[in-house]
Amino acid sequence: MSSAVTQTGAGADGAQRTLLRTKVEAAASTYQEVAGWEEVAAHAASLGQRVAIAPSLHAALPSLAAMLEGHGRTVVVPGEDDPAADVADVPVAIVAGAMAVAETGSVLVSEHELRDRVVTMLCQRLLQVVAADDVVDRLEDAAAWLAPRGGQAGFASLMTGPSRTADIERSLTIGVQGPDEVDVLVLTGADAAAEESTS
Amino acid sequence: MSELRSFDERYATALADPDVRGGLTAFQRGWRDSRDAAIADLEAQEGRSFDELRAELAAIKDGVLADWEHHLDSFTDNATAAGAEVVRVATPGEANALITARMQAAGADLMVKGKSMVSEEIGLNGHLEAAGIPPVETDLGEWILQLAAETPSHLVMPAIHKRKEVIAELFERVLKRPFPPDDIDRMVKVARTELRERFLASSVGLSGANALIAEGGSIMLVCNEGNNRMSVALPKLHVVTAGIEKLIPTYADAMKQVRLLGRSATGQPITVYTNFLTGPRPGQEQLIILLDNGRTAMAEDPDVAAALRCIRCGACADVCPPYGVVGGHAFGHVYTGAIGLVNTSFHHGIEAAAGPQSLCVSCGACATVCPVDIPLPVQILEVRENVARAGEAGNAGRVTRLALRAFQHPRLVDLGMRAVGVATTPVRRGGVTALPSALTARGPLAERIGWRTPPAVPPRPARDTLRRGRLEEPPRLADQPLAGRKVQLFLQCVSDRMAPDIPIAAAKLLRAAGAQVTVPRDQHCCGLPAYDSGEQDTAKSMVRQTMEALADGADVVTPASSCLAMLGHDAPYLLRDDLAEVERAQELAGRTYDLISYLTSGPGRLPAGSLDDGDRTPVTVHRFCQASNTLGRTDAIEAFLRDVAGVPVVPLPEASECCGFGGSTSVRNPELSAGILDRKLGCVDQTASSVLITDNPGCILHLRGGVHASGREVEVLHLAEYLVRRLPGATASPQER
Ligand code: SF4
Repeated sequence: MSSAVTQTGAGADGAQRTLLRTKVEAAASTYQEVAGWEEVAAHAASLGQRVAIAPSLHAALPSLAAMLEGHGRTVVVPGEDDPAADVADVPVAIVAGAMAVAETGSVLVSEHELRDRVVTMLCQRLLQVVAADDVVDRLEDAAAWLAPRGGQAGFASLMTGPSRTADIERSLTIGVQGPDEVDVLVLTGADAAAEESTS
Repeated sequence: MSELRSFDERYATALADPDVRGGLTAFQRGWRDSRDAAIADLEAQEGRSFDELRAELAAIKDGVLADWEHHLDSFTDNATAAGAEVVRVATPGEANALITARMQAAGADLMVKGKSMVSEEIGLNGHLEAAGIPPVETDLGEWILQLAAETPSHLVMPAIHKRKEVIAELFERVLKRPFPPDDIDRMVKVARTELRERFLASSVGLSGANALIAEGGSIMLVCNEGNNRMSVALPKLHVVTAGIEKLIPTYADAMKQVRLLGRSATGQPITVYTNFLTGPRPGQEQLIILLDNGRTAMAEDPDVAAALRCIRCGACADVCPPYGVVGGHAFGHVYTGAIGLVNTSFHHGIEAAAGPQSLCVSCGACATVCPVDIPLPVQILEVRENVARAGEAGNAGRVTRLALRAFQHPRLVDLGMRAVGVATTPVRRGGVTALPSALTARGPLAERIGWRTPPAVPPRPARDTLRRGRLEEPPRLADQPLAGRKVQLFLQCVSDRMAPDIPIAAAKLLRAAGAQVTVPRDQHCCGLPAYDSGEQDTAKSMVRQTMEALADGADVVTPASSCLAMLGHDAPYLLRDDLAEVERAQELAGRTYDLISYLTSGPGRLPAGSLDDGDRTPVTVHRFCQASNTLGRTDAIEAFLRDVAGVPVVPLPEASECCGFGGSTSVRNPELSAGILDRKLGCVDQTASSVLITDNPGCILHLRGGVHASGREVEVLHLAEYLVRRLPGATASPQER
């Protein structure tokens, strides 16, 4: 997909990504810019022996699995039958975001099927990958992505940081039913385009 | 989940639990800091004020109400196109029956629930249990409450009334292993291990909806924990329960709600997950139940329709002083906080609304933070009138009503108060009534009266002293902004009869500034006490009486800001049924001032340094809550004291919070009032000031009583009392007793 924002030049992009970084970090995620998918794979490989790839990302970018295997990692792509069981103990997962919203540091992830959703729900550490071109300014840009998809079955989430609660004495605790850790990776290199077709 | 107990029982339980108040005060303070910071950030980001932003969201929600059927249809069509089944139901009974039948048909034996206030509203858990299909709450707070067999006490933070020690004990008892109370992380993590199997095993999941987006048929569902995402994704049937007021036209509108919702609820710019669900996932069914249960009736009642804008952020509880003392189990029914005082009578009947109504102090704080700008204080008083009419308020209500009706008659009040003044001469001790310690120290009455020493009733009201020619000519100020100007002094019933020094001091000040002060004879009471008690007919007749008494077109100045709240703000609304009366009320409002506004921004504006002779001991200032919240006054008294009187002012923490006087609350629910007063005096202690200045006589008598009863060494003064001491040639303490 392409974002709802028009290109405003490198300077504006820089400011937008600086804001994105600030907001992502404020939400207790990490932020990094990477040249391409090879760097994503290397980062994931450094975090665990088994790595889950969201099925929709795997379908759009089958080479990612090979990159991970090149690092000696076991790749898990949850299947139709019992996707939750497939990813139950996987420590690291990779998902592609449709866009990242600088205003809030959120990544919009579209995941209609259960086997996509288990990846973002059940893994402990989640890598959210977004192409630099898909970094947008405002929540309204996310609304503009959602609006034409109205009336058709779908599920999309603005994800902002790791899961958390403050239900006990308002004390902030990270990691409840969702991931404990989230890394936002922005693809700045040429092969960012390869990711376009995934979302 | 336990059934809701009677209001009296809930109130008594809350008061008996010392944890409730301590925990809630800390919670409210923490919320305030994060919410204020988050809203300030938003204002900077958007380049617009909170008021502009909330007006925008309010207009969007009002637009839905104006064309409700259209939006409902459009939501239904779009959700249906995406594969959902949308069913509208009128009553909780229908909703429960539908859900139970569906679950039985599907052979389900377990339901995982995300947080849903509508499911609480309809009492779903009880129904499912009776049908032998246990629901499992998956939000951490809701799960804790389910283990404890309790209901939520807050819209957003359901278990906020529970301290960590209590939760640790509960977990130990239920899960049979040790939980150190300081290890909150461990308690949180146990929810993941305990609940994961349930998520995987359950064939039905339930969620609420934060918004129903008409243009696409999507449900917007926000959460931080991620539990909601699991309960809507994993089961084969996803049931949504939502009130029909959750409609919003477009995705872009929903984003405006997002911006205000997280910040108002928890001080977060956005929740961790903001999910947009359109139809079921492949292999799943989705049943969306849209509940009316009194909402259409609300929409048709212009006095309360705006309450349907509510986005359930909980902010109105987070700033509510009575909520901070007793929590949501007493302050509310199923819906807690200020909004609960409005919508309960529509969703659960007038009887359910009556008890909590009596706890509201009418301080107006809720309206200042509501992100959809619902006029909550006004709506609460409308419901209160219905409660009073329905006569459900019990004996206390009847006594109040009779007293207020008697109070309408100036002659009666005059004779009565003079008689009390004479009768209590033997126990009058410098401004307070000395009660025998046998009554106040222990025994059944101690808790109800021991916390506040009652004021003394002087033998002569202020109006006697202020009769023409009685008051000696006060010294004149160098500057005479009021030279030759006629000012009608409105004494206020409380200070006239119980604190005459206040209007007398005000008269002296105004004369020192050059005014020709008159005290219209027929003045009595502005009607505020009656209005606050839901006695609108009585209140109206008192407003009319006051308009009559002050008909002479000169400026009206009162030392009581509460009367300004009534005459300057509430009266035109109260008389809204008669345009001619509204005009009269507005005309009076236009020339009525409280003393501080008259001296700072009104005709009596005193130049800097005018009163800077005298004591320079630092003082602190309590801001009368309605002046801050309703009249929008901020630091006028502090600025005046600093600039005009040259006195250092130590900022009072939570300066605008109610002191607990709150009209009839302190009489009907003294324990509650004592709790609020305690918080206020604790803040005064923090300033280490020995002089507390404010400008509403009711608050002053209340604060003085609390200071006296607690043995504190703080002098509580009306601004006028403090200032007359600084007039040229004044003695240190000119008050007569
Ligand atoms: S009434 Fe306003 S402040 Fe209270 S919960 Fe609703 S939206 Fe929030």
